Amino acid sequence: MARWVPYCALAWVVVTVNFALPRVAPGHPLDYLLGEEAARLSPRQRAEALRAFGLDRPLHEQYIAYVVGLATGRWGRSVRFGRPVLEVIAERLPRTLALFVPATLIAVFLGTVLGAWAGYTTRARWDAGVSSAVLLLDAMPGFWIAMVLLSVFAVELGWFPVSGSSFAASPQPWEQVRRAVLPAATLVLATLGRTFLVVRGAMRSVCQEEFLWALEAKGLPPRAVLWRHALPNAWLPAYTQIVLHLGAGAGGAVVVETVFGYPGMGRALYEALLARDYPLLQGILSVVAFATILANAVADATYPRFDPRLRGGPAA
Amino acid sequence: MRRTACLVVAAALAALAAGRAVPAPSPSRLVMAIPQDPGSPLNLYVTSHSRFDALLDLVYDKLFAPSPYMDEPIPWLAESAHPVDPWTWVVRLRSGIRWHDGRPFSAEDVRFTFTYYRDGPQNRHSHHVSEVPHIKDVVATDPRTVRFVCAYPCPTLRRITLADLPILPRYVWEGIPDPRAFSGLPVGTGPYRLVEYRTGHGLRFVANPAYFRGRPRVAELVVPVIPEPATTFGALRRGEVHAAARPVPPELLQAIGNSSVVRVVRTRSLTLAELRLNFERWPLDDPAVRRALSLAIDRESLVRIVLLGRGRPGTRGYPHPDSPWTNPALRTPFDPGAARRLLEERGFLDRDGDGVRESPDRRPLRFVVKVPSNEPVLVRAAELVGQQLQRVGIRAAVQALDPGAVAALFRTRDFDLVLDIATPHAVADPDQFVMSHRSGYLWRKGLPYPEMDTLVDAWMAARTVEGRKRVLFQMQELFNRQPTSIALWYPDEFWAFRRDAYDGWAASPGYGIFHKFSLLAPSVRAGTVLEGR
Repeated sequence: MARWVPYCALAWVVVTVNFALPRVAPGHPLDYLLGEEAARLSPRQRAEALRAFGLDRPLHEQYIAYVVGLATGRWGRSVRFGRPVLEVIAERLPRTLALFVPATLIAVFLGTVLGAWAGYTTRARWDAGVSSAVLLLDAMPGFWIAMVLLSVFAVELGWFPVSGSSFAASPQPWEQVRRAVLPAATLVLATLGRTFLVVRGAMRSVCQEEFLWALEAKGLPPRAVLWRHALPNAWLPAYTQIVLHLGAGAGGAVVVETVFGYPGMGRALYEALLARDYPLLQGILSVVAFATILANAVADATYPRFDPRLRGGPAA
Repeated sequence: MRRTACLVVAAALAALAAGRAVPAPSPSRLVMAIPQDPGSPLNLYVTSHSRFDALLDLVYDKLFAPSPYMDEPIPWLAESAHPVDPWTWVVRLRSGIRWHDGRPFSAEDVRFTFTYYRDGPQNRHSHHVSEVPHIKDVVATDPRTVRFVCAYPCPTLRRITLADLPILPRYVWEGIPDPRAFSGLPVGTGPYRLVEYRTGHGLRFVANPAYFRGRPRVAELVVPVIPEPATTFGALRRGEVHAAARPVPPELLQAIGNSSVVRVVRTRSLTLAELRLNFERWPLDDPAVRRALSLAIDRESLVRIVLLGRGRPGTRGYPHPDSPWTNPALRTPFDPGAARRLLEERGFLDRDGDGVRESPDRRPLRFVVKVPSNEPVLVRAAELVGQQLQRVGIRAAVQALDPGAVAALFRTRDFDLVLDIATPHAVADPDQFVMSHRSGYLWRKGLPYPEMDTLVDAWMAARTVEGRKRVLFQMQELFNRQPTSIALWYPDEFWAFRRDAYDGWAASPGYGIFHKFSLLAPSVRAGTVLEGR
């Protein structure tokens, strides 16, 4: 039970900061909740709006109402879209996850394979070549990778649709997959580097361990040593990073979604920011924060499965 | 095993590539990309910015058309409008018009619309009923006649207000308790019916076969949202979209170019690039300082260097010179010598030799120019303006902010100077010019400005269009002598479309070429579009 206390405390901090956001910003919270509409309200309409948003009540009552609203699914109404925040999020989140989860898994797979191999190989030139290529990709801004993929594979070659959004009355699943290929490829190329670097670094350390020498001395083929024995040990640092990355992914990839016109959480966040749509911003930030906290908890809970040293029970 | 995997991957790639064929575009279906999600199924209380007017116009009609930006709007839902006296207008409606669901349109709908805009929840049309002009009374005297009574003379009601406000169906809107939360599909009398809106994806319209001006030429209009310009015009080249309802940015103009398939046309935009001055902040509260700033800016070199010649220098001041309501004699010259003399007369001298003038009480003339970071042309222009002001002893540092932060400056007033683009509604609608002197954009209601107040009183008292224009022209002259917004340039706009999909586009002032009139038969759109392109 005690292990959950830090997570609950963190969630409480997030909720409180989110509550404070429009209230500590310059101006009146109503300006942020209604946008430029607020400036046009008559005194009567302003009083009504204050009452509707509960802003005429003492601060502690507003805070309690906000927390209760969060817990019961009343997250307010988006100024930009004129709809309940939860409805907008429910529409966008699955799209982002459909893009982000496969892209992350592919990036993790490639990063792990390349990182493990680069860390294990004794051929310095190969290591330098692969590392340089991956680092170069990692250094490229996501929007630039997106623009290059778009120009080459969509506009010039015409292999994939240009826009990530389909507007057919009932888009076929295959069509949706085709539209997601380039955004997903961008995410893969832009995030591959971090897994690669972590795994490669860890693999370098593991390669110094005596148990690997013993396995090689026993005559195990290098491939078996690498994949069956070295990698499971080197993969632990990458595991935490990957789970956290998946958690933060709930917020979408702002740049990639905007360039490809992909209607996910990242684009909603961008649009909410431009419109100063605080209810929607608060909603998206809450989802991202809760997903990150959840990912942390999952990482902590599952880490012992991969690292026997952290399992409970009597000391060996 | 490995071979099988390779075959699977190869088959998948081949299948993906095989699906790339784009269906041949036909006039029965047109795909037109827009840069921004309207945020709602065209609910006027959510989708309230004037940039969405052309979309709203597909569904809704006005009494006169196409807009207040045309010199002489033509009767549209109205058959005629006649002044009874300077305060009163009688509008006769066309007969036989029906809403999209088949119910008859009547004078009651017009009465309800204007009353709702005035007394109901506020939207961007409200102050054009409650303040400029102030319509005191709207009465439906019979099913086809409406009488408007204004609180002060309203000689321009027909040419401006009636050509600006979309008409709503009473039976839909009077039953909606909170219009901002309304998410139903709109019902209008317009040439298109919105049949689908998907947040983040776009909108789909179908033609209204019973449209009173004749069936539109395109049966189905698909309007996807594509925020990024490079993606939009890439999709246009590939034929995924047939038209882009956003101007081609200068940097993409060469890449898009005219070809056998894609056509680019140039129109004169009714927008202008403005340098807005915070008249409530020292020393910009001094009219002489504001005038000195205007004199110090070389607008010709801005157009030459930043726009590469694609626009006209803002030497004819504010509002837009192409508006029929703008004084043709307005001039805002570049005269740095006069700017220096003016500053010296006000006691601004460079006392410590650092190149920046100081006031008699040693306060330096230093400003920050805020500019939206997503508009590289504006950022570059702000840098050049800074250099030009430096030559007369004023230092202006550039600060690029996200567009949301720039928009919020209207409310927070936390700025010295803002460089941004002003919309046609702001710079071509004379009622908005007066309204902007109350709203805080060009001046603030209650802040003393005796010369302008006298002119506004005369404007309100004017009983004829000519009388109104005469006073308006004086207001514009006064405004440009001590500007709170300096016109920098009037941009040209370039619009791209696929000629193999549809070639009936025509320009309407303030809307570019993508508007409902382009989709109507040429015989019925006369008077709403400009001749040629």
